[in-house]
Amino acid sequence: MPIIEVKDLAKKYLLPGKKSEFFYAVDGISLRIEVGEIFGILGPNGAGKTTTLEMLEGLTDIDGGSATIDGIDVASQPYKVKEIIGVQLQANEYFDNVTLNELLTLFAALYNREVDTSELLGKVNLLDKAQAKPGNLSGGQQQRFSIACALVNSPKVLFLDEPTTGLDPQAKHNLWDLVRELNDAGMTIVLTTHNMEEAESLCERIAIMDHGKLVAEDTPQNLILKHAPEPPQAPMHGNIEDVFLALTGHGLRD
Amino acid sequence: MPTKLQLHLAKIFLKIFLRDRQSIFFSLFFPIIFMTVFAFANNGEVDPIKLGIVNNSSSEVASDFSQMLNDNPLFNVTGGEESNLRTELVDGDQTMVLILPENFDAQSDGAELQLLVDAAQVQQLGLIMPLLEQTLISIEREFRNIEPMFTLTIEDVKARSQRYLDFLLPGLMAFTLMQLSIAGSGFNIVEFRRKGILKRLFVTPIKPRDFITAIVLARMAIILIQLTVLIVFAVTILDVRIVGNFASFYLMIVLGTFIFLCLGFCLGSIAKTQQAVMAVGNIVIFPQIFLSGVFYPIESMPELVQPIANLLPLSFVSTAMREIANNGASLLEITPTLIGIAAWFVIAFMLATRLFVWKEVAN
Repeated sequence: MPIIEVKDLAKKYLLPGKKSEFFYAVDGISLRIEVGEIFGILGPNGAGKTTTLEMLEGLTDIDGGSATIDGIDVASQPYKVKEIIGVQLQANEYFDNVTLNELLTLFAALYNREVDTSELLGKVNLLDKAQAKPGNLSGGQQQRFSIACALVNSPKVLFLDEPTTGLDPQAKHNLWDLVRELNDAGMTIVLTTHNMEEAESLCERIAIMDHGKLVAEDTPQNLILKHAPEPPQAPMHGNIEDVFLALTGHGLRD
Repeated sequence: MPTKLQLHLAKIFLKIFLRDRQSIFFSLFFPIIFMTVFAFANNGEVDPIKLGIVNNSSSEVASDFSQMLNDNPLFNVTGGEESNLRTELVDGDQTMVLILPENFDAQSDGAELQLLVDAAQVQQLGLIMPLLEQTLISIEREFRNIEPMFTLTIEDVKARSQRYLDFLLPGLMAFTLMQLSIAGSGFNIVEFRRKGILKRLFVTPIKPRDFITAIVLARMAIILIQLTVLIVFAVTILDVRIVGNFASFYLMIVLGTFIFLCLGFCLGSIAKTQQAVMAVGNIVIFPQIFLSGVFYPIESMPELVQPIANLLPLSFVSTAMREIANNGASLLEITPTLIGIAAWFVIAFMLATRLFVWKEVAN
């Protein structure tokens, strides 16, 4: 059963310096994302990944086509959609001088709810940082904290925009574990990424975008079977990241 | 009335804003300095009149006379040659020069004294002439041994007249609340946008009206604390007098703060960068400093400007505050001003909720 249905979605922007010429950042994309899936959107910079996500989140107007989340039309009922989604944005700066605990209380208040902040922080492994300020967290901790913020309303769908960009391998694997845990509990997760390994090991299905268009959409295995060049006779075993992890261990670094 | 959600949010924002103690404290610096300077520079005492005396007579009477004027605290006496003192008078170093003629002695009848004045200071003549005459009469009496028929004793009961500082305080409070409010909401919004916080808030279901109300309430709490500190300082340390009802005075502060916080929201929504909001903010703030009767009454301005000046939001607020603080006016007596405040209250809130569109503001 699809939870997100996207049909011919489009977003156009004025060409810089031109008065009446447009270009399409997202150019007629159709997607069906099933309940309980981890769905990845891949693509080079400027392919339209973030714009697609922002349209689904109600951050950006939809210029063409339609999108529904859990049967609710995004364009006509954005506030209803916001109630059931959790969002982690690329930039995640917060108010100065506010502890994680207080920020979670604030975010819960924005949904008109009360939350058990300790439980949420425990979920993302930051319980000991409850009184810390976001500015004093490491990159991985910051990403985990913004996921905690996105969870205050127990969303049905969680959107993650490049969640592992800039993280060290330990933090990256830790974040993947967190995403899998949330997914095991039934949450649908949509993420964008540049990281092929992330797409391959984490996502059940992936869509590849380029120039605002969908280039391919399938499970990672099927995509490899269909599109990857012939494998070499004696494939290399593992890759350099496995070597790095074997040498430096899986323990989290702060 | 604010909803439960708005109050809850306001409480959280208040906690956040209160962390910024430095800026809360430093924004009080200017008004405190300003008031203190005025309190000491303008403490209600009249400066002594600078009087030059040219004594052309060598008689005892003449020197006694000079001495008596010298002892009078109203005069600051300098003796000297006529030509020197004339130059000083022209340069403004003396206010008046008194010339005692040669025949100024006990024997003469009708010696003529000459008073040279600076035309710019003529209005003080009315004050000085009786004093000079009074001094002359008492000298004459002394020499002729006449007992005065009446004596007048003046007792200083320290009745306070209104000082400029009393006039200034309500205006300065109104001006300060405008500055704090516009900075508090306008600059905050721009800062939140720069950090991407607005965008993050926008993906939650919070409505602009709830967000604006919460921020306005939280900011207002802080501004009320700041103004209370200033008022307590002015009343206790500088002995400024607020004649009217304190509750009415505070009601005006609350309404004024609301208006300018909302206008600050408008600025923050229009201007996209910190520089832009400063520039636009100054366009709003500067004319009101001069036109809204903060430092001197609107009635003293050119008649052409007055109708416009009277409609500015700060004019209504400062007028209401001044009427209450200086003249002890009741709310009923300032109804027209209150209508102006109410109108701006509605306009400011409508503009703020209209202009603060998440899609435009957050991106």
